[in-house]
Amino acid sequence: MTEPEKAEPKKSLWQNVSEVIYGMAAHDMSRAALRTRASMEHLFILITMGDLLGIPILPPYYSLRLLPYVVPQIATWKRRMLREKDVADTMF
Amino acid sequence: MKLKDVLLQHPERRYLMFGGGGGVGKTTFSAATAYWLASQGKKVLVFSVDPQASLTDIFKRDIFGKGPVKIMDNLWAQEIDADSHIRSYQDEIRKKILDMYGLPKVPDEIENYIQAASAEPAMEESAIFDAVVDVVMQGDYDYYIYDLVPLGHALYYLSMAKVYDEWINKITKLREEMREYEEMVSRLRHEKETEQDQILNELLYIKNRINTSAGILTDKTKTGFFFVVIPEAMVINDTKKAAQMFAKFDVPIAGYVVNRVIPHELLQQKIPDYLRNRIAMQDQHMAELRATFGDQVLALVPEMERDVTGLPMIEKLAATMFS
Repeated sequence: MTEPEKAEPKKSLWQNVSEVIYGMAAHDMSRAALRTRASMEHLFILITMGDLLGIPILPPYYSLRLLPYVVPQIATWKRRMLREKDVADTMF
Repeated sequence: MKLKDVLLQHPERRYLMFGGGGGVGKTTFSAATAYWLASQGKKVLVFSVDPQASLTDIFKRDIFGKGPVKIMDNLWAQEIDADSHIRSYQDEIRKKILDMYGLPKVPDEIENYIQAASAEPAMEESAIFDAVVDVVMQGDYDYYIYDLVPLGHALYYLSMAKVYDEWINKITKLREEMREYEEMVSRLRHEKETEQDQILNELLYIKNRINTSAGILTDKTKTGFFFVVIPEAMVINDTKKAAQMFAKFDVPIAGYVVNRVIPHELLQQKIPDYLRNRIAMQDQHMAELRATFGDQVLALVPEMERDVTGLPMIEKLAATMFS
């Protein structure tokens, strides 16, 4: 009876440690993933809503359908696209 | 083979299209075919994808933008009003934005974009293209007859389906990649479910619509595409070129129907040289048509003594077309 009682706190300690390590590593990974995703999001808006910056796109009829979903991102996207920097800089 | 036999032997071809240059009789033949099928007891919808539609003129009824209008038993006609379709589409987008974000009014920048996008030259065609999907999917007709736009435009219409398809595939792929990143983050954070990507759903919806429309245009079992020709050098040359291009887009060409043939019986009468020469000219072109398209030439329709408008004239024309 005593043995399992001892083992459990040990296991939970180990679990805690591993969770911390995992959490530390995962945090960075998820941050990187989110950044990549954000870049892709901007690329996506560029492909579908390029007309907002004067870049003609095809075909406007269906891209209008997507417009409502990207309304909140448009301001940030425009700022990023029009920043006086090389586009490659913004990727990293 | 005759046009009548082609239709009777292929009842599974529910989508019939008449294409050809400007003014050769696409609308006339669409109306006559619709009339004939309706009089055979089939439920038929004839509709125009041309922004300058003339079904209103041929049936002598104001049907523009009114949805399917009943012309006679079993026969309905429809002219799509692209402008009002675009307007209600814009309103739908605006309402969605207001509802989604609880805004009192659409932000100026977004409003400008909505208006600018609608002024694009491709917008009208795209709107009609999209409206056709509704027409074809909602109705329960035995036959759908497309009164097409003149050749150049029709090619554009067909190529649009291909362009749309490629565009949508590319962005759907990008969206799916984004989705993978999102799911990865969810896993790392031990979140059970990733939020639904509404854009991806929307893209899949668009894809489905485009595939439906494009699928019909190129489906050999369900669709019959007929070229309307008149025995004149220019028209024949245009048709030959167009036929090759249409074949590239996998359009199932079902045959050729010749319009405005001057009746040979006139030769028995005392007629001026002018008419005699035209008959000789047409004979020459008819020989060329037969040499080029062989038994794909399905019907010869004579030049009528007056305009084909109104049901009695349509009936008369249909009688010779489907003799």
